[in-house]
Amino acid sequence: MTTHHLRRLALAAVLAVIGLLATACVDSNSAAEIPPGTLRIAIVAPSASNDRSFTQSLVEGVKALGDRVQYVITNNASREEAAVTIRDYAKEGYDLIIAHGSQDGGSLQEIALDFPDVSFAWGTARDTFGLDNVYAYTAASEQGGFVLGTIAAQLTETGAAGVVGPIEVGDAKFFIDGFEAGVEFQNSAVDVNTVYIGSFSNYSRAVETTKALIAQGADILTSSAQIAVGAIGVARDEKVLWLGNQADQSSLAVDFVVASQVYRWEVILEEILDSIEGGVKGGRAFTITLENGGLEIVYNNAYDLPADVRTRAGEIASGIIDGSIDPSS
Amino acid sequence: MPVELAFDFVSNSAAADVLAARRGWSGFFTFTTLVVILSSTIRLAVPYIFAAIGESIAQRSGVLNLGVDGVMLLGAFAAYYVTLETGGPWQGLGAGLTVGMAMGVLYAFITVTLHATQDISGIGIYLFGLGFSDLLFRQLVGTPIPIERFEGVFEFIVPDERLDVPYPNLYNHSIIIYLAFLLVPLAWLTVSKTTFGLNIRAAGENPEAADSLGVSVVRTRYTTIIIGNALAGVGGAALVLDKGIYFQNITNGIGFIAVALVYFGAWRPLGVLAGSLLFSLVTSAVLEWRTLGILTGAAAQLTEMVPAVITVVALVIVTRRIGQPSALTQTFSREINY
Amino acid sequence: MKLLEMVGITKHFVGVLANDNINFDLNQCEIHTLLGENGAGKSTLMKILYGLYNPDEGEIRLRGETIEIKSPSDAIRHGIGMVHQHFMLVPTLTVAENVSLGLRSSRHPLTDLPAVSKRITELSELYSLKVDPDTYIWQLAMGERQRVEILKALYRNASVLVLDEPTAALTPQEVAELIHVLKKMAADGRGIIFISHKLKEVMAVSDRITVLRDGQVTGEITPAQTNESQLAQMMVGRPVQLVPDRPKIKLGEPRLVIQDLYVDGDRGDRAVVGVSLEVREGEILGLAGVSGNGQRELAQAVAGMRNVVSGTVKVGGKDTTNKHPKVVRQARLSYVPEERLYEGTIPSFAVSDNLILLDRRDKRFCQYNFMHFTNIKEHCLNLVRRFLIKTPTLETTTSDLSGGNIQKLIMARELSGRPKVLLASQPTIGIDVGATEYIYSQLLEQKADGCAILLISEDLDELMVLADRIAVIYEGQIMDILDHQEADLEQLGLLMAGVKENVPWLHRQMAQPLSMA
Repeated sequence: MTTHHLRRLALAAVLAVIGLLATACVDSNSAAEIPPGTLRIAIVAPSASNDRSFTQSLVEGVKALGDRVQYVITNNASREEAAVTIRDYAKEGYDLIIAHGSQDGGSLQEIALDFPDVSFAWGTARDTFGLDNVYAYTAASEQGGFVLGTIAAQLTETGAAGVVGPIEVGDAKFFIDGFEAGVEFQNSAVDVNTVYIGSFSNYSRAVETTKALIAQGADILTSSAQIAVGAIGVARDEKVLWLGNQADQSSLAVDFVVASQVYRWEVILEEILDSIEGGVKGGRAFTITLENGGLEIVYNNAYDLPADVRTRAGEIASGIIDGSIDPSS
Repeated sequence: MPVELAFDFVSNSAAADVLAARRGWSGFFTFTTLVVILSSTIRLAVPYIFAAIGESIAQRSGVLNLGVDGVMLLGAFAAYYVTLETGGPWQGLGAGLTVGMAMGVLYAFITVTLHATQDISGIGIYLFGLGFSDLLFRQLVGTPIPIERFEGVFEFIVPDERLDVPYPNLYNHSIIIYLAFLLVPLAWLTVSKTTFGLNIRAAGENPEAADSLGVSVVRTRYTTIIIGNALAGVGGAALVLDKGIYFQNITNGIGFIAVALVYFGAWRPLGVLAGSLLFSLVTSAVLEWRTLGILTGAAAQLTEMVPAVITVVALVIVTRRIGQPSALTQTFSREINY
Repeated sequence: MKLLEMVGITKHFVGVLANDNINFDLNQCEIHTLLGENGAGKSTLMKILYGLYNPDEGEIRLRGETIEIKSPSDAIRHGIGMVHQHFMLVPTLTVAENVSLGLRSSRHPLTDLPAVSKRITELSELYSLKVDPDTYIWQLAMGERQRVEILKALYRNASVLVLDEPTAALTPQEVAELIHVLKKMAADGRGIIFISHKLKEVMAVSDRITVLRDGQVTGEITPAQTNESQLAQMMVGRPVQLVPDRPKIKLGEPRLVIQDLYVDGDRGDRAVVGVSLEVREGEILGLAGVSGNGQRELAQAVAGMRNVVSGTVKVGGKDTTNKHPKVVRQARLSYVPEERLYEGTIPSFAVSDNLILLDRRDKRFCQYNFMHFTNIKEHCLNLVRRFLIKTPTLETTTSDLSGGNIQKLIMARELSGRPKVLLASQPTIGIDVGATEYIYSQLLEQKADGCAILLISEDLDELMVLADRIAVIYEGQIMDILDHQEADLEQLGLLMAGVKENVPWLHRQMAQPLSMA
């Protein structure tokens, strides 16, 4: 009996250790030696760097800055993990700490008060909390959404487009509202069925919702945030068209991605870095737009888009830039 | 909102006007929606069927495994990773099966050889599977990338364009879905008509009696546990190969519901099948309500509780414990009872 | 040559020497009885023979050859069959499935139940062991289940058959049939080992008797050389009074009155059907019946632990129908339940805690919600001495006591309140002869004190010895109530089997093995 107990105890201990290991896993790639004049950036992101959407867009933006910066990133951070990590980075003395995710605003505000000498940035958001060491950044994603909407309205054969939305807030909502407005603008007979699945990360529900939308007749789809990766796989398998957002999603469904709205955060990151080097630690909000080149419609060369549709899209984009078209109407 | 009760038999070739007019309840009571719901019911039932049939076999031999969900997660990750690396869903399925069997050996060793309490050990297996699958995913993959899935059997048989048959969604499922439904009569045959099935039932009802006739309770239970866990692994693999993607805690409690379905189905394969179908029917109907805009906002969020509520309600309604193996959760040892 | 020899068998369990150098042998065509109290080592010895336990020392020889029996499969292969005290049957399987369990099927991997059924039918005709191979075990009466157990051994061609306490759950008629079958099987060349502590049966069935006490052989004898009281003395190690003197008491007023009582069982079935009974001051009313015929539900309903559907229960003139057990207790009813360890005590509690379970709110033991340990200890020591409870200390965990001592503990607690009505359910089942003798004396003492006792028992000998009147219950109904002088075993047995009229042809049929219901 006692040997049984001992063996059980040992086994329980092994299981417990493995379980702890599993939950206590955080990535960190420490920076090597830093050349003088290089700014050190720390990023806290809610998903992986190669998520083909939200986080990837920022990572690519930072990479585009080249040698001007050194960066570290913590991926897949929950809200609680994010709060702890932001504070740790602040203690370590980074030049700029980016909390990538509107859910981290609350924690950021508290921490920024405690570290007045450190610069923080967060997005997508427009609010700097009135603090002079916090930058806010956002995307006018309704602009590209509007352009993609007009494309969808021209390409649909069933007269129905589908949107797999995450939660009805922030960047994703702006994009989807713009998309719906674009469809309406181009052809009000085309129906847009938007379903918010109530989560940024429940890929499984995104998959099921996509399947249901297709079954109900939608033949061109879009989505926003990480869940897009789940939905796009269904579009590929069911052979329906896809419009991407945040990053170029062509590689995920080569034959079916028509175009993507790509975020080029480097445009405003440059401005933020200039500002920091100029001695200003925060207090400003930035927005990437079609006009400043922070937003760009990238077409998938593997998909044979009719020239007139592409031309029309170009006209719409110009109209948004010169103000003759209001994408948020 | 006016509710149109008659089903619309007109067409499923969704045209814009049809779709536009069919939002809300009036869209729910259409033939198109019926087909959509039925076809996703069949599809969504598959992980439940694999896991619950497997669990029912193990329970018939007297072993409760509350770790099904953890094993499913490990099987799901294995299937995802192998499919991602090799590009072949069959390899992924094999990986899910193998990982399930390995977990079966572990669980059998803990509960049968070491006589550990089954319920607590099962929770341990669940927590291990939950944490370890996530660890592996973060370390080896990091971000969800869509993988290859099984094609529908029609494309498999006729690798050409879509077949011109009515409502292909209803039966053009992947091969794994047919395997799941084939498993039900197979499980029945094994448990009810073979000598091995006789040993299983005896080990679950009265292990001392089985032992007294030279039936090895240990070997019988090892086998059923390995079968049960292997099927849980396959269930996880089926889930991943259906969704085409993996993420943390993808099962979201399917394994626990599968355990409840065993009780619901009164330990009979057909009952388990019925429970799985009922469950996925409700899930897919709720999904369709969201798609048709019948449920939005907070109401849609509330539907997250639907699976849990149905599980509890079903178990309350089906209170009969007839069919529960008498020796369920009892460890067996010859001399320890003295 | 001896058919079977067990030589120098020794087996230890933690702290217990269960078998101490035991020698035992068996001839062909012989019924050899192992007699002994609970815990004397009979079952251990037989479990060693059947491969369920491995002996520490000693060897087993079959027809002169030393064999090794590591598991039941080895035993079965050597032609050793065993009918266990608690039937080793799977209730949810059919007779044929139970019999074929563990055997290789002719249609492997599928079962070959039709062939098995055919062979069972042949065997059951040969030995008059009537049973339908396609019936589920749970549908069978205890006697029929036992036939299945014997058929299992016969099906496997057992040349040595062990029967461990085979008569515990049988009616007298079924016991008679069993003895008949065993003699026939012995006559066919088998050797049979019969384990029992019921002296009457042992005298009737045995060719030879070996008596065990405390793990050792205390004697080997034939029935012709001995008698029941000598056997009892060999078992217990001191003279035993098997039939106590009944005090002559004048019966008084009715103390327990049960009228037209209907009670449901656990599965919603009607377990007690219109039972009316009356027990008077100073009277012991016996309730006979095969267990599972509503006794448990009746007792629980009377004790207030189970809802009454209709009818009334009066204790000492007070209506206690569907009243809380506390109210029933206040009417001075004491209850000795059938499940002594789990219903009668809290097994994990200390002996003293269980002893004051009823009186824990008494002013003597509890002041301002604090327990008064000095008084409790004094009271408990008193009870332990008076009721001869063998326990190392008052703090000993109750479940560590032997069955007999747990029963004495319950009796001590229940009788210390000087009840007006005592409801005793199976007070001596599974208890050794010594403790039984003591419990009998306590019951009779209560009777002399004027207590009205309802004694529920399966043991007809016990009822014949103690009860003034014997009621027989069958499927929840009272078949008849017989006066103690006019009751005889055969009549009681028939009533227990549900046969009410004294029809001659039924008598003839009952002399044969019971046919299917």
